[in-house]
Amino acid sequence: MAGVFAELKQAVIILSMIALSVILGFYNEYKAEKIVENLKHNVSIKALVTRNGKALQIDSRLLVPGDLVSVYVGDIAPADMRIVKSKNLETDEATFTGESFPVEKTSDRLDLQAPIPQQLTNYLFMGTVVVHGSGQGIIVSTGKNTELGSISKSLVRSHPETEFQKGVRKYGNMLITLTLALTIGIFSLNYAIGHFWLDSLLFSLAVAVGLVPELMPAIVTISLAQGASKMAKVKVIVKRLVSIEDFGNMDVLCTDKTGTLTEGTVVLGECRPLGEEDDPRVLSYSLLCNSAAVGEEIVGNPMDAAIWEYAIKNDAQENIKAYTKVDEIPFDYQRRVMSVVVKKNDGHTLISKGAPESIFARCTSAEIDGKIQPMDSVLKAINAKFSNLSELGYRLLALAFRPIEAKTSYSVEDEADLTLLGFLIFTDPPKKDAHQAVDRLKSMGVDMKILTGDNELVAKTICDELKVPVKRVICGPDLTQMSWTEIKTSVEETTIFARITPEQKLDIIKALKANGHVVGYMGDGVNDAPALYEADVGLSVDTAVDVAKEAADIVLLEKDLLVLTDGINEGRKIFGNTIKYVLMGTSSNFGNMFSAAAASIFLPFLPMLPMQILFMNLLYDIANMTLPTDNVDEEYIKHPKRWDIGFVRKYTLFFGPFSSLYDFLTYGIMLFIFGATTPAMQSLFQSGWFVESFWTEVLVMFVIRTRRIPFFTSRPGKWLTLLTLSCVAFGTILPFTFLGGFLGFAPLPPEYWGLLVLMVVTYLLLVDAGKVFFYKICKFGGSDR
Amino acid sequence: MDDVGLRTWWAICISAGSIFLTLVSIYLYADSRKSHRKNVRVHADVASLVKAFVFVWVLLGLLVFYIFSVNLGSLYVFAAGNIIVEAILIAYLFRNRTDRSEQT
Repeated sequence: MAGVFAELKQAVIILSMIALSVILGFYNEYKAEKIVENLKHNVSIKALVTRNGKALQIDSRLLVPGDLVSVYVGDIAPADMRIVKSKNLETDEATFTGESFPVEKTSDRLDLQAPIPQQLTNYLFMGTVVVHGSGQGIIVSTGKNTELGSISKSLVRSHPETEFQKGVRKYGNMLITLTLALTIGIFSLNYAIGHFWLDSLLFSLAVAVGLVPELMPAIVTISLAQGASKMAKVKVIVKRLVSIEDFGNMDVLCTDKTGTLTEGTVVLGECRPLGEEDDPRVLSYSLLCNSAAVGEEIVGNPMDAAIWEYAIKNDAQENIKAYTKVDEIPFDYQRRVMSVVVKKNDGHTLISKGAPESIFARCTSAEIDGKIQPMDSVLKAINAKFSNLSELGYRLLALAFRPIEAKTSYSVEDEADLTLLGFLIFTDPPKKDAHQAVDRLKSMGVDMKILTGDNELVAKTICDELKVPVKRVICGPDLTQMSWTEIKTSVEETTIFARITPEQKLDIIKALKANGHVVGYMGDGVNDAPALYEADVGLSVDTAVDVAKEAADIVLLEKDLLVLTDGINEGRKIFGNTIKYVLMGTSSNFGNMFSAAAASIFLPFLPMLPMQILFMNLLYDIANMTLPTDNVDEEYIKHPKRWDIGFVRKYTLFFGPFSSLYDFLTYGIMLFIFGATTPAMQSLFQSGWFVESFWTEVLVMFVIRTRRIPFFTSRPGKWLTLLTLSCVAFGTILPFTFLGGFLGFAPLPPEYWGLLVLMVVTYLLLVDAGKVFFYKICKFGGSDR
Repeated sequence: MDDVGLRTWWAICISAGSIFLTLVSIYLYADSRKSHRKNVRVHADVASLVKAFVFVWVLLGLLVFYIFSVNLGSLYVFAAGNIIVEAILIAYLFRNRTDRSEQT
């Protein structure tokens, strides 16, 4: 019966594993297809093409290189094309390059050596959106040959093995080697000393099964599922369960800048007059010279809308009530200026707002702290200030004015002899919680690296604002010149990777992984998808593009970076409990099986019958079922952990023999104190060893699960305690039951129990003393204790 | 196998287990010193070695005691010896866990 039950158990486990593998395989395939589908969905659009002088609207999939395509506001570029004609053309490339501000596109020729996509202002990239103006371009590449296509190509492959999966694989290999060696050794020895070959074989196989922690997949899956459920409560959705452990073990987090560290929106940061004194006119004039439509929502140019949002936030929108708008000279890309004429009381004023260099050109004076000064005398200083702010990643608009006579209409010629008043400084601000999140990550041993398509100064500004210490900055073009070895070295000491392409993001992650790091990547754009896929843990946000969300392992439902740290803690707890099982299982199983093998040589009977071994194994596994709910010590989750097979090996080698020693002691007691020396007395012997072995194997869990003093300074989880003690109780009464008799056990004498308690207490204390030697004196257990 | 043969085999097995554990401890200690020496100069005098291996001395003491008491076949000797060893181990563990974090 027990044999059948044991075999049934094995069969169920094997079948479950096969089913799980099939489901996982299917899921991965499905996911890969879904990613491609999303990409296709993103780019399946109509295009207005001119062929043989005729304008046709065709499916973008039918476009070929050389086609002349026209684009207008709202269009999605149907292919990568070289712009040949443009009129005020602006595109939104945020999801593609990470640039949060609209990018001006022209047909101008560029002289660039090895340009990166975001430098190509005369190119339209497939998938980007035209937000202003119109243009015409000749198609250079289509479909999978476009920049977007190359991203999709890198996604159509299976997920690379995570660091945790690698660890499990190495651990499995170690177990296979150990099990094979023990099985062959035990069988040969038993057969050599004259045991029947079938008994020897069954015994050696039972020992081998006893050595395998077959519950590990279940423990891992239960842990991961529970972790995923806990993380869902803090609005972190785990899409790929296996990534949770790597989430906890992650020691490098690479992140995109726009939309992850920053809000990904244009915000007016400051209305700055030229002098030191505050001047409310800078804001009032910019509200008057504004093209945004203000109703229930603010609609229009992002910068004009940002000015209104700033004014509303600062309760300053009322300041313009005294003014009446008389006329407007609209913005155009040649002038890069917009102007309005307003009337207050009887005076008219012309206000111009636009690109600083265009405004400067129309100014003859500047107002600094209420004093009008000639423009020539201050231009150099103003230009320096403007350049400095621009380099730091701020977008600037300049504001100028002049009194103007009343007339029926105004024209661009009136935009002259202006007085420069100040600047409007726009920014993509860091997220509110970003600074706190960066600090917490640092304290948790997670190194942060910024991978961005923006320029290095912009990225540096964000780092300064978030107080991320910058060790080194590398730009995309420099990275192109580096060999793989140089990349591997430089990624270690670099904090900011600026102006990089999606392919380079991938290289950086691969280099970090090759250096032994567990790498997380956080991004939300199409350009982030390959990196999200390659990283051990791909993190994205709910507002990300579908492709990024599909490629990610974990999606944050709220843009709250602090939930990242909660997730990391959860991952570390799960890893901690998994490793506990591995260490306990391997060391105590190894010890028990080793002593079983030794005993089989000198005893005239088997120290434990195969079915008894398997039953003990089953009972031990049941006791371990609640291990995923166990508490994990605070200090364990402070730093990232890693699978370290060398450590597991040392641990097994050291703690395994403790158990063997007490098994041998039990043999002595059963043989020489209770006289179980003959085959007729084997049931007593086997019962004595079964109970001792089970007690030590299960109870040592409370000692090994922590580096602290068990129970006193580290409490085990209540379910673990309850189930473990229940299993111990069951194992204790088993020899007295019908089932015990069926399994070949015999009742044990009362003296045995007294000796057992003393022996087990000594054993547990000795193991605890062993912990002092192992952790404190030898200082082992740096990474995956 | 007769009783004497069994006793001999048993003594060999339990001794082999203890000696194996002792050797593993020495190996681990040497291994840890080797890796620490790369960063810090480590002076291993006799006193610190004796202190570091307290657990091994207890282990070897236990081995002798177990072989003796089991061969004697006395439950009382076995029980009394165990209690003494437990007291020693508890004292050792408390001495080695004086820091607030209680980490071993």
